[in-house]
Amino acid sequence: MNPSGSYSGAIAADFSSRIARLMFYIVLCLVLMTLDFRGQWVERIRDTSTLLVEPFWLLVEAPATLSRSLKERWQDRSSLLAERDALQVDLNRSRARLLVLDELERENDRLRELLEASQRIDRGFQAVELRQLDLNPYSHRLLVDRGADQGLRVGQPVMDAHGLVGQVDEVFVHSASVILLSDPDHALPVEVERSRVRTIAYGSGRSGELTLNDLPMNADIQPGDVLLSSGLGGRFQAGLPVADVLSVDRSSGEAFASATARVRARMRGARHLLVVTQGTAAILAEQDSSIDDQAASASSEPVGESASTSETVPASEGDGP
Amino acid sequence: MSSRQPSSTLLIISLTTALLLTIVPFPGGWDPLRPYWVALVVIYWNLEAGRFRHLGQGFLLGLLLDVMTGTLLGQHALGLVILVFLLERFRARIRFFPPWQQAAAILVLLLNDRVIHLWIIALEGNAWPSWLWWLAPLLAVFLWPWLFLLLDGLRRRQRVHSS
Repeated sequence: MNPSGSYSGAIAADFSSRIARLMFYIVLCLVLMTLDFRGQWVERIRDTSTLLVEPFWLLVEAPATLSRSLKERWQDRSSLLAERDALQVDLNRSRARLLVLDELERENDRLRELLEASQRIDRGFQAVELRQLDLNPYSHRLLVDRGADQGLRVGQPVMDAHGLVGQVDEVFVHSASVILLSDPDHALPVEVERSRVRTIAYGSGRSGELTLNDLPMNADIQPGDVLLSSGLGGRFQAGLPVADVLSVDRSSGEAFASATARVRARMRGARHLLVVTQGTAAILAEQDSSIDDQAASASSEPVGESASTSETVPASEGDGP
Repeated sequence: MSSRQPSSTLLIISLTTALLLTIVPFPGGWDPLRPYWVALVVIYWNLEAGRFRHLGQGFLLGLLLDVMTGTLLGQHALGLVILVFLLERFRARIRFFPPWQQAAAILVLLLNDRVIHLWIIALEGNAWPSWLWWLAPLLAVFLWPWLFLLLDGLRRRQRVHSS
């Protein structure tokens, strides 16, 4: 790197000034990355600049959208009819099931009134569509086509027809990014459906896989068990299917048993996802105010929601690990 | 640089195309194999037309890429700043290399860029990318001559038309 004698003085000076500029930009990059990694400060810049690049995203998506609409237009009549019939059958079956559920819900409400327990909160859903692009292949995030304008907020759970997918992580004006359960930064309170063992499922960093690291050695869990969200922490509704346990490892010498589980949601195939938006206006308003309070530090849990989860915590059991 | 205007249009068009190719969806699990189009275009314009010689340009372009691809703000910027710096440092030599040697130099530049990215990804705590990810520079180098010929042809044609 040392400029040798064959360089004239001017070139050497030019070179050292280039080195200085290189150092300046490298430091600038490092500072930016640190700020971005720690969250909060650079978020504003990112939000506004997303508006700038949104045309690019739309442009890239255009061919896919076009081909989809063309395909839908040219699908022939008979296959459409068949599809309609299948959907009709499906709808009827679901409706029948819903009738039973309605009855159960009424009964539940009555019992709740008798017990003077807290009122349950109705959950609303917002259907979102995946953007056609896979932004960053080594981070576990998805981009969806609804944003703050459509009422999405940071922290809302996202699911598909098979189970929980993740939660809303960043909200832009017309889009939002969803952090998947498999992200190493994500932790989810879960319980085993069969034995009601409570634990926390961490993202493993591998696509669609969760790890359970802090199970007691004698915890009643075995391969094939279904993990449900436990509702502790107040962010996710209790009882949503999350994952199937693949393997349990109880190696001697370790303080805790560990298990791996495969996420139920099929993130690869799905195009449509549901965002669970809290239905009641009071909760939304409360969330709004709490979001305004901590404008950017959205990572903290909303605390005002304990009412919705208190029902799921039987008094006899202790809290999870 | 007598005909600055048409060359600039071509530069903007090629850069926009490279940016679009960066985020266009890739079929199946082949996504890590995506060549670093923006770097290739930057290298071309630096070597052949003397554009993108300032580190600041690389920095801004990198920031744009970061916002587009959702990486950490500054990740692509760091890679491109270092790439532009190295390119500028060895520009006089690389320009007059025979083609295969030029391709080798570009391969080294792109691999160096991958190492920088890998470093940041590891610091972030994300899972390591698959081995396909390391083949992307090779694929990019195979594409390099065609990109070179295409852009050169377009540039020559434009010059003929504009004169």
